Amino acid sequence: MHRYHSRGASVKYMLAGGTVIAAFSLLAESQGSLPAFPGIGDNAAVCQEMVQAQAVLSREQLAKLLTLPERSPKAQVQQVVKTPYCRLSNLSVRAGVSAQREVYPLAFDPQTLLVVLYEGDEYAGYSFSFQR
Amino acid sequence: MPVIPSAFSVRASLGPGFVLLLALLAGCTSLSSQSPTFNLRLYQQWELQPGDLIGGRAVLGSLGDISVDLNGGSAYAPFDGKAQLDQRRCVIFSSPQVPAYIFRLCGLASLRLGDRRQGEVLGSGSVLQFATLRKQANDTWAIVEPAKSILERTLQP
Repeated sequence: MHRYHSRGASVKYMLAGGTVIAAFSLLAESQGSLPAFPGIGDNAAVCQEMVQAQAVLSREQLAKLLTLPERSPKAQVQQVVKTPYCRLSNLSVRAGVSAQREVYPLAFDPQTLLVVLYEGDEYAGYSFSFQR
Repeated sequence: MPVIPSAFSVRASLGPGFVLLLALLAGCTSLSSQSPTFNLRLYQQWELQPGDLIGGRAVLGSLGDISVDLNGGSAYAPFDGKAQLDQRRCVIFSSPQVPAYIFRLCGLASLRLGDRRQGEVLGSGSVLQFATLRKQANDTWAIVEPAKSILERTLQP
């Protein structure tokens, strides 16, 4: 009897805790409709320009992209990945060179974003960003 | 009838130890997965690198490093990302927001490794040796000329 009672109480605490967490995540999500990278608040990390809200990257596209070497022509990469979901703000990592960053959610794992970086007409590389 | 209580008592006595063991294991894995060593392979085949010894003296910076007088101050994460040590005990900072590039910071102490938010301290020291490295097609990293803005973000949170 006592056991059942304490189990019931712990379930109540779990429910309460879960509700609080859910409320917070809802609040966090409602703060912006654009996806933010880990570390919300850094403007450079948030989509600067929406391109195509439905854009996703399929497994096949990703597999093809991974075979393309760094420094491939930008056009060759874009032929594989097509239109991006959004663009991040331009950034200069190397002196005198502006980098463009385009973002693709993965079709099979929408919480994961692929970020592709170009410098001029050259593909520099990619990374995966995991949304919280 | 007596079997069940004894089984329970065994489980109960194992319980705390087992939980502790799990916690310790989890602690170990989280420590090692937090910041495994970054095996940096340089594109440039330079003979001397930070951490090498020459004439009985330690090399602090190499060709391609920008030396900055930190004067005991801190260096900060230029983006959200991860700080790891390389095999020469320099900090390698990488960010999913900046594909194809990593940043090498040598000369820092009081290191804060692992996941770091933009503006968080990476470490402090008297002289910082800063290098920007760009990924090459053969999985090596080439030291390139860093943009001023990246250095500014690293020196001022």
